[in-house]
Amino acid sequence: MVRAGPPSVHALGLAAASLALLSVAAFLPLDAPPLSLFVCPFRAATGLPCLTCGASHAFAHLVRGRGMAALGANPLGALLALVCAVHLLWTLARIAGLPWAPRTTTATRPLRIAALALLAANWGYLLAAG
Amino acid sequence: MLDSAVLARCPNCRNTFSTDRSGRQECPACGKPLIVPEPAAPAPGSTTAPPQPAENAAPSPGSPPPESAAGTPWERRAELGFFEAWKQTTLQALFEPGKLFAAARLDRGPAQLGYAVFTASVFWALGQLLSRALLSGQSEQIQRSLRQLMGDRPVSPLMKILLESQHTNSAGATIAIALATPALVLVLLYLSAAITHGAALLLGQNKRGFPATFAACAYALAPTVLAVVPACGSLIALIWTVVLTSIGLKETHRMSSGGAAAAVLAPYLVLCCLGCAGAVALGLIFGRMATGG
Repeated sequence: MVRAGPPSVHALGLAAASLALLSVAAFLPLDAPPLSLFVCPFRAATGLPCLTCGASHAFAHLVRGRGMAALGANPLGALLALVCAVHLLWTLARIAGLPWAPRTTTATRPLRIAALALLAANWGYLLAAG
Repeated sequence: MLDSAVLARCPNCRNTFSTDRSGRQECPACGKPLIVPEPAAPAPGSTTAPPQPAENAAPSPGSPPPESAAGTPWERRAELGFFEAWKQTTLQALFEPGKLFAAARLDRGPAQLGYAVFTASVFWALGQLLSRALLSGQSEQIQRSLRQLMGDRPVSPLMKILLESQHTNSAGATIAIALATPALVLVLLYLSAAITHGAALLLGQNKRGFPATFAACAYALAPTVLAVVPACGSLIALIWTVVLTSIGLKETHRMSSGGAAAAVLAPYLVLCCLGCAGAVALGLIFGRMATGG
């Protein structure tokens, strides 16, 4: 954690993008158009889920407070939805006067390998879950 | 702690940021450690500002941040004028992108955001209006042909909505699209920058932090001026934008051409599913707005 002033324009922009994603997940039903019309082209071509299959379900479950269902749909999608929500709330708190910002971390080689492993593990889970 | 916030520049990524303490700390953009020196005391009786300390600090809060880049024409629009700055920036982005991206300053995020939102919104909205006006006859013809081809066979709900959205042209829908476009451009720009930056991070190509990726993505929206060309304009703009983003990343992050291409193309390959869904969602949202649904 580092001391910081008001959020930067980029922090605000990313918060707006997070708000848009979470709002879409909150207000668009999964079992009605337009979300129900989406067909994953990768799954259609290969019969296997792609890396992001289930991410929209993960967002929809998380904004409705169903954490386990979100993790079941796509663990990394659920994590991404959580990051979006935390960033949005933190930015709002900083606008309100919170003088702290998260410490940024350098993407070291071990960290990058861990992230790639996490992506691979997530895909492995999706493949296993079908 | 310092008496007041000072501007400091990271010697690694050359990002300029504000800090209220001296000593060892991490750059908020790239995360690399740096040292902000104590501001030098002015000489007795002297009214001039003290000399600039080393690379990573600018002691006078009111002075412009030290940057090697001069700034793009858009970032100097106060001296060039709004339309001249926009014209020069757009022409440079289209025909001399290397020069434009090399001149971009990473502390001018708000200006870069303004350029992207203004350019993409205005020309996207104009393109929508022109397409509706010029291609309405053709769209009816295409629909007639499709109906003949399909015969009595059931049409998918997605195709139905897309077809219905093509021939509706109300003033309300046009105004709604024009009002929604800037917000949509802002959200899409940040999503695109975040995904591209994530790919650059994973590939170890992030040299100067998110502001560098954002500058590349923002000025890469210059080809959206082609969205006013009916039919093929948007497709050409999309391809040109991808190419410009790659050139932009190469210049703003000072990475290799291969690294820049990989960072830009990786999300398209990995997230093709999400991209298709996003494209269809946009079409449906505008379709719904056009049909008033």
